Amino acid sequence: MKILCDRQNLQDAFSVVGGIPPQKTPKPIVQNVLLRAADDRIVFFATDFELSARVTLDSVKVLRPGEVLLPAKETSALLRELSEPTLALESEEHRCKIESGSGSFVLVGDDPNEFPAEPTFDGTRTFKVPSAVFLEMVRRTSFAAAREETRYAINGLLLDYDAGNLRLVGTDGRRLALTSAEIEGGDEPARAVVPIRTLHSLLKAVGDDGDQDLEITLGNSQIAFSLGDVEMISQLLENRFPAYEQVIPKVADSTIEVDRSLLEKNLRRVAVLSSGDVRMVRFEFKSSSLELSAESSGVGRADLSMDASVDGNGGKISFNPDYLLDALKVSDLETIRIDMTDDATPARFSLGENYTYVLMPISGS
Amino acid sequence: MIRVLPPEVVNQIAAGEVVERPFSVVKELVENSLDAGARKVVVELHDGGKERIVVLDDGAGFTPADLQLAFVSHATSKLGELADLDHIASLGFRGEALASMGSIARATIRSRTEGDDSGHEITCEGGALGEVRPSGCPRGTRVEIADLFFNTPARRRFLKTGRAERARIQELLGRLALARLDVDFTLMADGGEALRLPAGESLRERLVRVVGRRVADHVVEVDRTWGNLRVHGLVGRPEIARRDSSLALLWINGRLARDRGAQASIRQAYREFLMHGSQPVHFLMVEMPPDEVDVNVHPAKSEVRFLDARRVQGLVHEAARTALTAAGERPRTGAGAVQVGEGKPRALTGLPSLPGDLFGRDAGRVSPGGGSRVAGIRARADSDAELDVGAPGSAAPERSAPPSTVEPGDTEPSPAREPVFARIAGGRFVQALDLYWVFATDDGLVVVDQHALHERVMYERLRARHDASAPTIQRLLVPEVVELGAREKAWLLGHAETLAAEGLLVDDFGGASVAIHGVPAVLSRVRPRSLVESLVGGLDDEDAEALPRLREAVVERFHSRACRSSVMAGDRLDDREVEALLEEASRCEHPHNCPHGRPTVLTFSGEELERFFKRTC
Repeated sequence: MKILCDRQNLQDAFSVVGGIPPQKTPKPIVQNVLLRAADDRIVFFATDFELSARVTLDSVKVLRPGEVLLPAKETSALLRELSEPTLALESEEHRCKIESGSGSFVLVGDDPNEFPAEPTFDGTRTFKVPSAVFLEMVRRTSFAAAREETRYAINGLLLDYDAGNLRLVGTDGRRLALTSAEIEGGDEPARAVVPIRTLHSLLKAVGDDGDQDLEITLGNSQIAFSLGDVEMISQLLENRFPAYEQVIPKVADSTIEVDRSLLEKNLRRVAVLSSGDVRMVRFEFKSSSLELSAESSGVGRADLSMDASVDGNGGKISFNPDYLLDALKVSDLETIRIDMTDDATPARFSLGENYTYVLMPISGS
Repeated sequence: MIRVLPPEVVNQIAAGEVVERPFSVVKELVENSLDAGARKVVVELHDGGKERIVVLDDGAGFTPADLQLAFVSHATSKLGELADLDHIASLGFRGEALASMGSIARATIRSRTEGDDSGHEITCEGGALGEVRPSGCPRGTRVEIADLFFNTPARRRFLKTGRAERARIQELLGRLALARLDVDFTLMADGGEALRLPAGESLRERLVRVVGRRVADHVVEVDRTWGNLRVHGLVGRPEIARRDSSLALLWINGRLARDRGAQASIRQAYREFLMHGSQPVHFLMVEMPPDEVDVNVHPAKSEVRFLDARRVQGLVHEAARTALTAAGERPRTGAGAVQVGEGKPRALTGLPSLPGDLFGRDAGRVSPGGGSRVAGIRARADSDAELDVGAPGSAAPERSAPPSTVEPGDTEPSPAREPVFARIAGGRFVQALDLYWVFATDDGLVVVDQHALHERVMYERLRARHDASAPTIQRLLVPEVVELGAREKAWLLGHAETLAAEGLLVDDFGGASVAIHGVPAVLSRVRPRSLVESLVGGLDDEDAEALPRLREAVVERFHSRACRSSVMAGDRLDDREVEALLEEASRCEHPHNCPHGRPTVLTFSGEELERFFKRTC
């Protein structure tokens, strides 16, 4: 195999798949990225068995077709460091020589024939959504999903489609983020739980530019995302997502409106003094103000008052400030609405068009 | 053909349950002697008891009529009717022991009561009962068991060597003796005196003879009473912890007993002090009304059951913990020896004031220029009199006073000492290997591990802060459902209210499941499922307290946080930082161990140093 190509293009393409190979694995061959060159185009393919990604680059000159494996980590690092506009890649046996200006680098891969084959995909059901819309939906919900591996079912986001409406839901049992959008996808309802890692990789691979449609195809145990030159196939998680609709409070004693960016700033300020063993900020809603306070025993105390329009009796409620900041950060509203009842009932935050966040308070015993 | 077994065979079979080896013979007989009110017990062994065992006491003795019944199964003077089973205050009570022995050995009892002019004896050889005959003897009872298992050779083959049997018996006698300081015990083996425990000595003195000086020097006295329940005895300091639990001893009303619950709650009290896998050493006597404990559970009578197990567990836990806390200072190996020793002079006090001269005032002058380093060791250079423990006329007499009261020739044990950290704070030291601080004191060399000590200080800080704040609950939006075993589930739900007060909200979810609705906010990053699983994990006692287990989970979190935020090996500290740390350590509740149980400070006493330098002869 021998190719000539633009360095930047190659680097961009490589970065789509470069994050997929696992850092630690008992099967080290998957720490490589497969490069296949034919017909004046190259394809990079990487997999960790659960998630596979493929990217095609056609602005290259293929002098001799062939395949080679590139060690993912070293190749990423090398491409970042090189600055010549063009590169020449040539493989011999299982090595790949990269020439750039006066530099010559030989990367030792492995036998491409041993590399896992691209997965076969069983999906038929296709949805289309502008990529920028979908990525924003992921950003609004993914932080709320559980990080821990073992709460398997909710270590991912729920895609819940019904009659032209796609909902994305993330929860870790303490909070829940829900967002929705109108998309094309037919009448049949559909549900799937997609691993967080897959969605993070998608965010990285696709970027926000362009109004291209992202094509989502759903299979029995797999999901595929396709956008331009990039295609990803991922396993789905077991579909055991909590009944999220029951968790969202329908009624509340008080409804409060408050400036979002001011709340975010003030919450950060007050949270400085909640850094003890329990991260907790107290909210007290009075008739036209919100009093924030926090105390870290032996360290100090913070009190802060800000305007709020309170409809109802108000009252006291405490939250882990990190949980709320995560959501305030991705909200784009000027004024948000909070619906609360008491310190044992979830509070509901309306943070944007079709964007709801539910947070469980911290209470005394 | 089916035959009814003749009674002597029945006895032989049953005997196996009571009498397995010479050890059990001695146990039964000595317990009988103690029940008979003996003040003096002599045990004689020949070939480890395989050839002959004699137990001699000065107790109440048998009347001739009693003797006639002595070898009859279930004849006991101790239990008249079933109701008496509720009030078992004596050690032996089943009336099986002598009958068993008579059926598998050549047994002779010779006895005289106070009122009788002469004694009598009776023999029973392999179940063949002899006549009661007059026989001259002093007041008390002498039981001789010869040729054990002579008629059941199969059993005889299972006996160990005489030496091994004797060792077990000696251990047993020591243990029985620890609970009866008012009784004089003697063990004779093959004509020589193997163990002599005079009546009236203290528990600590008896401990020296029974388990050795090292253990006896490292135990702390305990005495707690709660209503009609009393726990007293000695608990071992953490440094004599062992791999096995052979010195974790508990007596219930004078009876050596095993009780997993109580034993576990004592271990719990030691938790912070011991490294993983170590077993504490303790000698605890529990006294309670006989009707609140059931000793009739185990044939060998070593397992008991309490009416109110939690009360007993609570009290032994508290007793052990209070003693450890009050003990404060780590002992110095040399000093304790004086209290119980046989007039051996304290080696340390014979030395000229070692510390001041070695690393004290002079050290400051050896390395001038303040904080200069010599081969990685920096001498503390400022000769600020206020911080100088060894300096005469120190400006801080309240600090330097206690050590200086130990004058050469002073053989009295020193009174309650100032804790080690309070004494060394402000003293001169060198930092070695960027990890240890070495202090020279009147007691010898004190070496502090900076990481371990800082970890302890951080840990107590975090804990104090936690204890001071009201428990808070991170409620769960989506209850987490956990499946448990039936016993675990019942236990968890049985304690639901207690747990809720600490922030863990659980309720029944039907079937084998419970639902978790909230967790202590301090553990909000711990998975609720694993919190509950660790709470019920290893649950072997339905009476186990829920709160300590939950607190343990909380405390576990503090351990790791304390460790992460502590200075490490290799962090060189400024002298002022060392001062501050020592000062805070002196106010810690348990400054002598890091939260993982490793020691924070070691004292090498003068005596130990002498041993290292082979100065002892």
